Amino acid sequence: MATTFKNFLSNDLANTRTLLHEAIPITGSIVSGTYGGAGVALGSETNIKTYGHGIFESVYDYPYLSSSANQIFDVTVGIASNSSVSASTTTQNAKKINIYNQMAQYLVGYDTTGSIKKFKLPTNSKEMRDCYFIPFSRLLIKDEIKKGSFTLDMSVSGTTTFTQTKATNYFVHRIKLTDTSGSNGYYVDSPVGEYGVLFASTSAGTLALLQGETLGNAKTNPAVGLLYYQAGIAVISASVFSQAQNEENGALAGAVYPNHASIIRTSNAATAVDASTVGFHLAATGATIAQLADGFRNRIYNISYNNTTELNSTIYFCRAGHSDFNYSSNPTYLTGSSIRVKTRAADTPISYITTVGLYSADNELLAVAKLSEPLRKDPTNEITLRVRLDF
Amino acid sequence: MGFLDNSGDIILDAVLTDTGRMRLARGDGSFKIVKFALGDDEINYALYNKDHASGSAYYDLEVMQTPVLEAFTDNIASMKSKLISLPRNNILYLPVIKLNTTFDSATAKHSSAHFLIAVDTVTENEMDVDATGVSIDGVLMGESPNRAGNRIRLDQGLDTTAISPGRTLDPLLVETQYLIEMDNRLGHIVSRQDASRASVSYVDDDNVASYYLSRGTDSEYVASISDTAAAAGDGSIKGPRGTKLTFKVQSSLELNTSDYLFDTIGTTALSADAVIVGKSGSGKTFKVITSTIRVVGVNTGYRVDIPVKFIKLQ
Repeated sequence: MATTFKNFLSNDLANTRTLLHEAIPITGSIVSGTYGGAGVALGSETNIKTYGHGIFESVYDYPYLSSSANQIFDVTVGIASNSSVSASTTTQNAKKINIYNQMAQYLVGYDTTGSIKKFKLPTNSKEMRDCYFIPFSRLLIKDEIKKGSFTLDMSVSGTTTFTQTKATNYFVHRIKLTDTSGSNGYYVDSPVGEYGVLFASTSAGTLALLQGETLGNAKTNPAVGLLYYQAGIAVISASVFSQAQNEENGALAGAVYPNHASIIRTSNAATAVDASTVGFHLAATGATIAQLADGFRNRIYNISYNNTTELNSTIYFCRAGHSDFNYSSNPTYLTGSSIRVKTRAADTPISYITTVGLYSADNELLAVAKLSEPLRKDPTNEITLRVRLDF
Repeated sequence: MGFLDNSGDIILDAVLTDTGRMRLARGDGSFKIVKFALGDDEINYALYNKDHASGSAYYDLEVMQTPVLEAFTDNIASMKSKLISLPRNNILYLPVIKLNTTFDSATAKHSSAHFLIAVDTVTENEMDVDATGVSIDGVLMGESPNRAGNRIRLDQGLDTTAISPGRTLDPLLVETQYLIEMDNRLGHIVSRQDASRASVSYVDDDNVASYYLSRGTDSEYVASISDTAAAAGDGSIKGPRGTKLTFKVQSSLELNTSDYLFDTIGTTALSADAVIVGKSGSGKTFKVITSTIRVVGVNTGYRVDIPVKFIKLQ
């Protein structure tokens, strides 16, 4: 009997898993430059969406009122209830604690008593009690951030005027947060998957900016945050703005550290230099989450990482044997029931394949694959077409 | 000694059709790929030149240069013509499926080259006979299919005079199962004997209903052609004959009771313009939906599109 279908056998199917990576560069100009500038109030940039609740702000790659804009990440700030910043007089104290607890219960989990655990750096077991949180959009991270690929380059310039026009010296002192050990030194005790430690190193500036750092020796770089790969959330300790002598996790060293006004970034005006070594603490008590988020966002020089898309594929081996598919039901194949490609009955039947259809048992076409050019099929050849269906 | 060309490994990326996505979303296990077919929709075999002066290597030069389109995700737009597997290579003739409009007046098409389906009683009353009282060819009674004997008939076999119709068609080439596809919003397939509805196998996301009708289990629709006389009514097929498919069409309740689909996907035509003239003569206004009913031989893959018009007298 003539047939048009061929059933797959058990050895005609194979399943594969492929990881695809894309480079995601987020330039600082998108985050804080292009849509800002003199005359634009902080937080009023057209690509920054703020909310009435004031507990986070969203960064878009384009003015967010445009339908072509994509949300790329959010920024928020949280403090632990045992932070020295926490006090009844602290602005938005409850909201800052709530944010910290929400992130901690989601990313760190609970102890055996059911209490929410604090963020803790596994390298030195120090708690991170004051944190910036950067949840990246699923659009960018896809299935996860590729381990070992994350870099956040940010300004820690302090003893200079801080203007939104981005004077050259604004980014003269920068540190770079990377998860360099992520590819072979990540942790798995989080309820949301794997995470790595963000280590800081001097990115720009002539001297080591960080406590204990020896330029050129990565082993001396201080840990300043955590990166949750599957969740796509960077947790950065506020210690990146403070000196070690005065902070439990302070990272900065020497005379270079941001003054508290520039951490907050409440205005476009140049801010005066102050000599406080506990910049974040001075800033956080009197500033809102939005002000702190604005300040952090304006210090971002660049962010880059590779995302990961996990492709699960089924490969169908469509095997056309020598006696299969040599004739066609194409209306042009016949002229008055006579096969066009033959003159005599003994001639070889020929057909040309352009399409592969994958069918259900009830003959419904579920997937289609196309060849780039017609493929001749006749009884002298056997063809195996590998058709890959990605999920 | 050169290396052998190993570039023949062919990997194709498949795309899910809309039906595939629908079944996947349904999550009931109905998305299960169990078989494949090969298609050649883009190929025009008339370009195969057996008389090319440069020799056999050039016979299919133009065919091989045919550009291939990207995959369509609409399941009804892809795989319209499939390749066929036959165990013998010495076959010179393949069977076709042919609309038989000459068997008798009840199988004839309307003069508009369509089959007309009157969707309600008012339209049936207008279209059952012409102004002279003679039955009109090609008008199917959509509300009461048994009211008249008009029906659609297709014959299968080798449409060639090179082989006598008296010869038995090779069992390899006999079509034993037909697939009828039609817009489920417009009507249903019914039997010619008692107008009982055929079972719908499934209705896809485009509202196309598929009916599988087999010889033996659906004898009221599919039967062997026994008449082998060249001049007989069965002689729409000139050579050896296989099976015949006969059916009627019942209009859907929606067409019967509402003008919505006529206004959405149809037209309005004066009887004279649309060549739709009933017993009242010209001057009547009809609402018309033009569609096709596709008949496919499941085994042989041959396909026929039957043009139909659903009409409603205004």
